[in-house]
Amino acid sequence: MKKSISIGMSMLVIAGLAGCSGDNPSAEEKETLTWYTTAGYSPEAPSAATSDYISENIESFEKEHPDMNIQLSLQSSNIDEAMARLLEQANTGRAPDMAAIDGYMLDRYKEYLQPLDELMEERGLDPDDYLPFAEKVLRGDDGKIYGLYMSTDTRMLYYNKEVIEEPPSTWEEVIEVSNEVQKEGYEGLVLPLGIGEGTSVTSLWPLFWSQGGKLVDKEGNPVFGKGENREAMIRTFETLDRAQEEGAVSKRMASSGRENDANGEVAAGDTAMFLGGSWQAVTIEEILGDDFENWEVASLPTIEEDDPTVSSAGGWAWGIFTDDPEKKEAAFDFLMDSFISEEGMGEFTSIQGSLPARTSVYESDSYNPGAFNDEFLTSLETEAEARPGASKYNEISVQLQTAISQVISGSKEPEQAVDDAWEIVTFGESGESE
Amino acid sequence: MWDTPYPWLIPLLLVLAAVFLYPILQIVRLSFTDANMIQVGYDYTLESYLRMFTLPGFLPMIGTTAFFVFFSVVFQLFAGFIVALLIVQGEKMNLRGTVVVRTSVLVAWAIPGVVIGVIWGMLYNETDAGIINYALSTIGLGPVSFLSDPTMALLSVTLANIWRGTAFSMILMYAGLKTVSKDVLEAAVIDGASALQRMKNVILPAIAPIILVNLIIISIDTFNTFDMVMALTGGGPGNSTEVIALSIYTAIFREFNLGEGAATAVVLLVVNVVMTLVYLKVLGRRGEE
Repeated sequence: MKKSISIGMSMLVIAGLAGCSGDNPSAEEKETLTWYTTAGYSPEAPSAATSDYISENIESFEKEHPDMNIQLSLQSSNIDEAMARLLEQANTGRAPDMAAIDGYMLDRYKEYLQPLDELMEERGLDPDDYLPFAEKVLRGDDGKIYGLYMSTDTRMLYYNKEVIEEPPSTWEEVIEVSNEVQKEGYEGLVLPLGIGEGTSVTSLWPLFWSQGGKLVDKEGNPVFGKGENREAMIRTFETLDRAQEEGAVSKRMASSGRENDANGEVAAGDTAMFLGGSWQAVTIEEILGDDFENWEVASLPTIEEDDPTVSSAGGWAWGIFTDDPEKKEAAFDFLMDSFISEEGMGEFTSIQGSLPARTSVYESDSYNPGAFNDEFLTSLETEAEARPGASKYNEISVQLQTAISQVISGSKEPEQAVDDAWEIVTFGESGESE
Repeated sequence: MWDTPYPWLIPLLLVLAAVFLYPILQIVRLSFTDANMIQVGYDYTLESYLRMFTLPGFLPMIGTTAFFVFFSVVFQLFAGFIVALLIVQGEKMNLRGTVVVRTSVLVAWAIPGVVIGVIWGMLYNETDAGIINYALSTIGLGPVSFLSDPTMALLSVTLANIWRGTAFSMILMYAGLKTVSKDVLEAAVIDGASALQRMKNVILPAIAPIILVNLIIISIDTFNTFDMVMALTGGGPGNSTEVIALSIYTAIFREFNLGEGAATAVVLLVVNVVMTLVYLKVLGRRGEE
C-alpha cells in the first residue's frame, strides 16, 4: 500500500514536471501549463501593481479555461543564468510550455519554439504592427514568427536644458559642451564605460553600429576584429578615449557598468547630461521632482555628423515551447490577453514603465504614456537595433566591456585593447585571429 | 568485522563521495572539454587549458590574485592578532566593553560578502556622494579614484577584504590566546622576561598551531573570495581586480564557457591544495621543533 502511494506520488510529481506532455490520463483532470518567467513578470513581482495585474489575469484565464492550470516557476534574477538554464531545458526536451525570453536572445531558442503565425492571424495580430527591430528579432529564417515581443526600451542622451541649450549631436560637440558645462561646476558626460552590459549596449554598440560595424556574421561567428569592423571598433574606442583624455568624460566611468549608475550621479545634483535607458525617465523624475521639467532627451551622439544615429533596444519576449495544440493555444491566449493584445500590452507596459513593442499600442487608450514617449517611439522606429542573438555574443560583450574599461582607466591603448579582445574571443578558431 | 570502526565510517564516506569527491571529479572532467551552457554536447580537448595559459590576461590575473591574497592574509593575521590581544588585555584589566568590542568585530564577519561590497562601494564612491571622498573634501583633499584607477582599485578591494577577514582571524587568535597558560606567563614574568620576550618566547610558540590553522583558513577563504569583489568592482576597471575566483564566475555565468571556467577552477583547487601542503610542511615542522 505504502509503495503504491509513493509510486502514485512520484508519477504526480513527474507529470507535473513534464507539464503533462504525455497522454492525458483523464479528460476531466486538469492539464498543467508550465510557465517559466522572471519574478518581475509574475504574481511574485516586487511591485504590487504588477503582481495584482498578473494575478488577476491568471485568475480570469483559469476561469475561461477550467481544464487548464498554470504552474509557475521563477527564473533566477541573473538573466544570463536564467536564459542558459532555459536553453539547457529546451536542449534536453524539458522546456516549459511557455517562457519569458530576453528579447535579443530569442534567436537561440527558435529551433525549439513554436511558430505562431496562425494563432496570430486568428487573433488579428499583425506582425507588421511590431516595431521594425522587434519584428526582425521575432522572424525566423523561414519567415515565420517565433515569439511575442512584449516590452522594450531604447537608449538616448538625457540633458538638462537649463544648462545645455542645444544637445550635442556628435562626439566633437560632446567634448565641447562637456568642457563648457564643467566651467559652471557641472560634470561632463556621464555614461557607463566599466564592466557590465550597460557599457556595451549604451556606449559601445550604438557608436560601432552607426559606422556600419558588425559584431558577428550571418552564421554567428565573431567578425568585430576583422577588416572594416576592426577599424570601426578601434574608432569607437578612440573616440571614447579622446573624450576622457580631453576631460569631457570622467575617468571614474571606467568603474560604472550599468545605465542605472547614472541615477546616483543625477541625484548628486551636478550632472548636466548622461546616456541612459528609457526606463530611467521614471526614476529621474522621482529623484528630481519639479526640476525634471528642465530635462529633455535627444538622439545618441555619433562620431561624424553624417553617420546615422543608432540606438540599441532591449526588452522581453514570450516564447511557446509546447507542441500540444490545445496547450499551445491556451498559452497563446494567456500571453495575448495579459501582455500582447492592445489592452494587455498597453496596461502592462504602463504599469511597468516600459515601452510597448507594438506601434498601435502607443495610440491605445489602455496605454498611459510616460515622459518623452514620442521621442522614445521615434527612436525605436528609426534608430533601434537589437543585439545579435549569436551564442558567442556574451563572450564578445564581456571582453569588449573589459577592453574599453582598460582603455578609459589608462591601462591599454585602444588598438591593443580591441586586438586583445579579438584574440581572446577567437582563440582556437583556425584563421580567425589572422 | 563489526568490532572495527570502519563500517561506521561508510555512511560518512558515501556522503563525502557524493557531495565532495563527485563534484570535484566532474569539474576536472569538464575542464578537459569545450562544454558551454548554450549548446548540448561537447568534445574532450585541452583547449580550455591552452586558452587559459596562452591568452593575454592569465598572468595579470595571477598577479592580481597573488597581491590580493598576500596582503589580505598578512594584514588579517596581524590585525586579528592585535585586536585579540587588546581584548584579552582588556579582560585581564577588567575593562568594561570587551564583550561589546568582540561582538561588534564579529558583526563584520557575519555580513554577507555582497553586502560588504555594496557598503564599501558607498565609502569609495568617487562623486561627492562618496563618504571617504566627502570627508577628504572637507580638508581640501581628493577626490581619490578609489575604484577607477587600476592600482587604487586593487588596493581598495584588498583593504575591504582585510576589514572583512580580520574578524574571523580575531576569533581564532582570541581562542588561541585564551589557551596560553597563565602559570607559564607568570613564571616568565618572575624570570624577568620583558613583554617582547614573553610575546616571542611564550605566547607565539604557544599559539603557533592556531596561527597555522588561521593562516590556512584565511588563505583559502581569500583565494575563494569573489562575491565581495563582484559587488564592489566586478573585476574592473578593465580586469585590474579580477581574481581567479571571479574569473571562474565570469567565464561560466557571463560568457557561458563551462570548460574554461572549470579549467580555471581546477587551477584554483591546485593552488589551494599546494599552498595548504606547503604551510603544513613548513610551519607544521617549525611548530614541532
